[in-house]
Amino acid sequence: MDPTIYRAPAPERGTRLVRQALLVALLLGSVLGSFGCGSGLKRYAAVDRHLSAGDPQAAAGVIREAEGEYGSKSQVLYDMDLGMMLHLAGDYAASNQHLERAETRIEDLYTKRITAEVVAFLVNDTTLPFDGAPFEQVWVNVVKALNYALLGEWDEALVEARRIDHRLNVLTDQREADEYREDPFARYLSGILYESAGELNDAFIAYRKAYEAYRTAQPWLRTDVPDALKVDLLRITDALALSQEHEWYQREFPETTWRRRSEIKDLAQVIVISYNGRAPRTEDQFLDLPIDLDALKLVLLTKGATTGANTDERRVVESVLYGLSGRVVRVALPKLVPQKTQVSHSLVSLSGPAGLIQTRTQLTANLTATAKKALDDRFASLAVKAVARAASKFALAEGAARGTQKAGRDNEAALAAFFVGFLFKSLAIATEEADKRSWRTLPDEIHIARLWLPPGEYTLQVRPVGVTGGETARTSTRALTLRRGETRIIIERVLS
Amino acid sequence: MTSWKGRSDDMRLSQRFGLLFTLPLTLCALVILAGCGSAKNVTRIEPGVVTDLSGRWNDTDSRMVAETMVKQALGSPWLDEYRQQAKRKPVVIVGTIRNRSHEHIDVNTFVNDLSRELTNSGMVTFVAGRGEREEIRDERLEQATHSLEETQKAPGKEIGADFMLKGDISTIQDEADGTKAVFYQVDLEMIDLGNNVKSWFGQKKLKKVIERKRTLF
Repeated sequence: MDPTIYRAPAPERGTRLVRQALLVALLLGSVLGSFGCGSGLKRYAAVDRHLSAGDPQAAAGVIREAEGEYGSKSQVLYDMDLGMMLHLAGDYAASNQHLERAETRIEDLYTKRITAEVVAFLVNDTTLPFDGAPFEQVWVNVVKALNYALLGEWDEALVEARRIDHRLNVLTDQREADEYREDPFARYLSGILYESAGELNDAFIAYRKAYEAYRTAQPWLRTDVPDALKVDLLRITDALALSQEHEWYQREFPETTWRRRSEIKDLAQVIVISYNGRAPRTEDQFLDLPIDLDALKLVLLTKGATTGANTDERRVVESVLYGLSGRVVRVALPKLVPQKTQVSHSLVSLSGPAGLIQTRTQLTANLTATAKKALDDRFASLAVKAVARAASKFALAEGAARGTQKAGRDNEAALAAFFVGFLFKSLAIATEEADKRSWRTLPDEIHIARLWLPPGEYTLQVRPVGVTGGETARTSTRALTLRRGETRIIIERVLS
Repeated sequence: MTSWKGRSDDMRLSQRFGLLFTLPLTLCALVILAGCGSAKNVTRIEPGVVTDLSGRWNDTDSRMVAETMVKQALGSPWLDEYRQQAKRKPVVIVGTIRNRSHEHIDVNTFVNDLSRELTNSGMVTFVAGRGEREEIRDERLEQATHSLEETQKAPGKEIGADFMLKGDISTIQDEADGTKAVFYQVDLEMIDLGNNVKSWFGQKKLKKVIERKRTLF
């Protein structure tokens, strides 16, 4: 007798069966609830609301209050999220404390626990400690470098630039040429920091690597070499008297106008960095694989009856129904959902001693494309693991049911086997979930404008312009006092 | 009506089902609880004991480098030459020691180790550096307004330094398959403030290999 097909139970047993099924449904509900994906959605929605209202401090408060929800396995993510919020709130020292802790924990997580991997193989990848995708690990150092620069601690900012270089060098050694192993923005920012601190030779190396990385990554990053980087390469090769390289870059960018370092040494530098939009989120993509025709009908019927998002309620219903059928295997894979910005660029204007100076920001980092690349790089291995896990869970459930049936006498063993099969298969389906954790407080895109101005008092205005040409967010205005030779970094956050 | 045998069967069935139902739950609970335990143990030890925990620059490195540098500085001819020529101990000020490494090293700890060792040797006099000077001058101004006249310290009596100690800490890192090699190089130089002559160069190199296991039970 097939243990997964339960035939004609006695009336009192049938009533008990219904009670037990309800109990299992409740259990599944609690198992699903324990993953807390719903609370994560609410948390990020609250963060977005505060950021839209221009209150990053309150957004940081939301993250702080949710520390318990992150759980012990997602402490790195908690520190990343809070570090980013504190960075936006202007509390750079506190931001660095959290990001430093995230970095230390990432290093500790290099050593994988076999027991944790086994549990993840039997349940799902969310049981593993989160250590971030390689690009997220690089961006911990990127945000830290910016924090130190904003604090005026240039030597410490350069420590982060060196760490970025080391991290990317290790990735280059470990990964294939078509995988994420270089980060154009991280390289470009390193160049800016080196040059601002007077380390011209290191700045040239970083600019050159940024240029090569932008060109290599163009197919997936969809970001052109920024005009500002072309100017930087021409200026720095001239300053270092690298005539061969300078001529080569002049041939590469014949239209680019630039100024010598000697012409800008008495000026102040303003770097406007605009974080636009939101990093993509990840959703479950469930593949419900029916093993026979009846199961196929059930899957089609269930999908028809429970349309819409992957809610916890829907997952409970599906888990119970598929568990009862016993002939459906579920595979969960992560699916990236972009949250693209509506900002095309920002108009930057500075009015002061030099009159009115205007420029526009340019795209320098596309984090949605980078996250997509990171997911693409590991998708094949994720898929293989997910299929293997689903097959193992199904085999375990089948084995348990058959074992139960053999352990008892015919009439009661069939009932017990049915329950065991139902329980294990429902649990297998209910616990199947993709690891959806990612650094969601990062922006979708980063735009930069770089200007050199005579020292003095200025009024800075940054006006975001939408892809359709209209204004997408409020114009920000602030007063600046610039000193000779100083580098001033201005951070803008545009959520739309 | 259910017979005695029927009730017995039901009970056994119920017991077996209960066992089968609770067993996986118990296992799950054990797995979850196994990860919850944490223990903290604090032991007081002598500051001189080597404690290499993370592999990063630590107090032991700072102390070792300072001791070596002091030996180099005191054993070099610049000190005797100056003492013979000027008939007094050289006055030294600490300039900028730049951190060019991959780590956020507290350079002040290292500088303090160095200054203390050199001062305690009795062969060199250290004067306050730029940052400290401002605070001391402010205090003198405060004294001029608020302190008894006989206890006030007059301005213009600071001792000008003869030499400036400058330098940097740099690192070279290499890493593959969980093994990281970190090479630290500390370079110091004593510059004669009268003529910009670099009177002494000191150098100390350290190399560490940090091995991390990829998997553990």
